[in-house]
Amino acid sequence: MSDWAIEVEDLVKKFPKKENKEAAKDGDPTPIKRGLFNFSKKSQVQAEQKCFTAVAGVNLQIERGEVFGLLGPNGAGKSTLIRMLCTLLEPTSGTARVNGFDIFKQANQVRQNLGTVLAGERSIYWKLTARENLEYFSALYHIPPAAAHKRVDELLERMELTARADDLVEKYSTGMKQRVAISKALVANPPILLLDEPTLGLDPQAARNLRELIAELKAEGHTILLTTHYMEEADLLSDRIGIIDQGQIIALNTPARLKDRINQRDVIRMEVAGWYEELASKLQVVPGIDKMVTRRMEGEGMVEVSLHAENSRAVLPGVIEKINYNGTRLVNMNIVKPSLEDVFINLTGKALRD
Amino acid sequence: METSPSTILRPTVHATIPQFWGDLRAMGWVAKKEWLYFVRYPSWIISLVVWPMIFPLAYILSARALSGPDGSGLALFTARTGIADYLGFIAVGTTIWMWQNVVLWDVGFSLRREQMRGTLETNWLSPSWRMTFLIGPSLVQLFNMLMFLAVSVLEFGMVFGVRFNGSVWLTLLVVAASIPPIYGIGMAFASLVITAKEAHNFVFMVRGLVMIFCGISYPVSILPEWMQGIAQWLPQTYMMRAVRNAALGNASFQDLTPDLVALASFGAFWLAAGTVLFYWMERRARQTGAIGQY
Repeated sequence: MSDWAIEVEDLVKKFPKKENKEAAKDGDPTPIKRGLFNFSKKSQVQAEQKCFTAVAGVNLQIERGEVFGLLGPNGAGKSTLIRMLCTLLEPTSGTARVNGFDIFKQANQVRQNLGTVLAGERSIYWKLTARENLEYFSALYHIPPAAAHKRVDELLERMELTARADDLVEKYSTGMKQRVAISKALVANPPILLLDEPTLGLDPQAARNLRELIAELKAEGHTILLTTHYMEEADLLSDRIGIIDQGQIIALNTPARLKDRINQRDVIRMEVAGWYEELASKLQVVPGIDKMVTRRMEGEGMVEVSLHAENSRAVLPGVIEKINYNGTRLVNMNIVKPSLEDVFINLTGKALRD
Repeated sequence: METSPSTILRPTVHATIPQFWGDLRAMGWVAKKEWLYFVRYPSWIISLVVWPMIFPLAYILSARALSGPDGSGLALFTARTGIADYLGFIAVGTTIWMWQNVVLWDVGFSLRREQMRGTLETNWLSPSWRMTFLIGPSLVQLFNMLMFLAVSVLEFGMVFGVRFNGSVWLTLLVVAASIPPIYGIGMAFASLVITAKEAHNFVFMVRGLVMIFCGISYPVSILPEWMQGIAQWLPQTYMMRAVRNAALGNASFQDLTPDLVALASFGAFWLAAGTVLFYWMERRARQTGAIGQY
C-alpha cells in the first residue's frame, strides 16, 4: 500500500469553454470545424484555445493522519481538484491515488475509502429523517444491516442528534443539517475525508463546533483534506497548507513556515472613508510599497486597504499624505503580524476573497 | 503540528457485504427513499384517484356526441374495431397513454430531480452500482402505476360501466410484456434529460406521437398508410391493441402472440438503448462535470 493517504501527480483538468456565438461571428473568422474526424493540427490548436484549465498540473502528497488545508479564492481550482479525487470528475491528464487506489482505474475502491462533504451541496434528503438519511447512505456503502443500525446510532449520538433523529431534516437548523451531512461522510468510517468548504454558511457557534469535530477526527487518525477560503480556519486546523491559485499550487508548507516567508515584511491595514478608484494607483507608486489590495467593507461605505512594505515607518508619511486629501480620510490604521491571507497577497497580489 | 503515521490508530473502512447483495440492498433503499418522498407529498392521492376518471371523459363525451342521438354510429365503430364496448376501448387507450406519459415524467426526470435537489452527486460518491439510482425509482413508479391501473379498472367499471370480459391472465400477461418497452423508453429518457437539463419538449413530442399514431381513441386502421407505417414502430400501438383484444375482445393466447413478440422485441431494444445511453451519460458527466451542474 502507498505510504501516502493521497498522492497527486501532474493532475490537469480542462473544460471546454462555451462558445460565444457573437464573438465567433465578429472576432474569429475561422471557427472550429465540428465533427468526429477532424484531426488537423490547426483544429487541435483551436480546440486547445477553446478550453478553460481549472487545474493546471497539480502535484501533491498528503500524509496519513494529516489535516491538509487547501486555501484559495473562489475559482482557484479547489473544488475541481476535490471532485477529481472523489471520482466525480475524470482528469484530462495526470494521475492520483487515494489510500493507494487509482482514481480512474479503481474508482469504486476510492469511493469506499473516502468520505466527502462537497461545498454548497445539499447532499442529504430533507424529506427524510436524519436516521433514514444515514440508513440510506449505509446501504449505498454496502454496510450490513445490523452493523448499519449500530453505526447510525453511534453517529447520531456523537453529533448530538439522537433526540431529533426521527424528525424530518427540513425542520433542522443549518448547523444540524451540516452535522447530518458530515455523519453521512463518516458512515462507512473511511480513513480519508474530503471536506470542501465545510463551514460555509454556518453561524459562528456551529462553525466552531465543526472545527472541534475536525480536530477530533484528526485525533482518531482520519486524514482530512480541507478546502476553505477562511484563512483563520485553515491556520487553526491544518498541519500543512497548500495555496492554490489559477489551478496551480503556488505554495505549500506548514502555516508557520508560510507566514515566516513574509515575516520580514510589515503589513499595514487601514480603513479609508471617501475612497476613489484613482487613489489605488497613487498609493501603489509610493516608494517602499510592495503589494496592495483593497476590499470594500460591507455597509460602511469604507474600504479596507492592506499594504505590504519592508519598512512601514518609512512608507507611512507618504501613504497618509496621499490618503488625507480631497475629502478622503484615514479612519483606522494598524501594523499587524502577517496572516495567511497576507501570504496569499504576497504571492498573488490579490486578496483571498476576490 | 507534526504527525507520525506509525503512531496513529488508522480508521479502517467498515466491513461490507458482497457487491451484488450490497447493490441489491442499496436498490431497495433507493426505492424506499423514493416511496417515502412520494407519500410525504400528499398530492399523490389526486393523481391516483381523480386522474383515471377525469382523463378519458373528454374522449368518451366526444364519442357520444359523434355517435348520433340514438348511438347508431357505434355500430360502425364496432365494425371497424371488432370491439363493441367503445367506453372500454377508449379507457384502455387513454390509460396506456397516461402510463407512458407518467413514466416519462417520473422515471425520465428521476435523475434530474436528484440533480435539482442537490443529492445526485452525493449518491454518485458511493460505491453502489450506478444503475441502482435509475432502477430504484423505476420500481416505485411501477408499483404506483400498477395501483393506478387497478384504480382505473375499478373506476371505469363503477363510473362508466365498462366490463372487462376477457381473460384476466392474458390481460396481465400483456401488461407484463408492456413493462420493458415503457420503462426502457423512460430510462433512455432519463439519461437524455440529465445531459440536456431540460426535456419538456421531448416529453410533449413523445406523448403527441403516441396520442396521434397509436390510436388512443380510434383504431389505427383509419390512419393514412404512411401514418400506419410510423405507428408500427411505436410499442404503444401493440400494447393498446393487445390489451383491448385480451381484456375486451376475448382473444386467445395464439391471437395475441404476434403482439407479445413485438412487445418483447421492443422491450429488449429499449432496455438495451436505455442502458447504453445511461453509461454514455455517466462517462460524459465524469468528463464534463455535468452531474453537479444545475
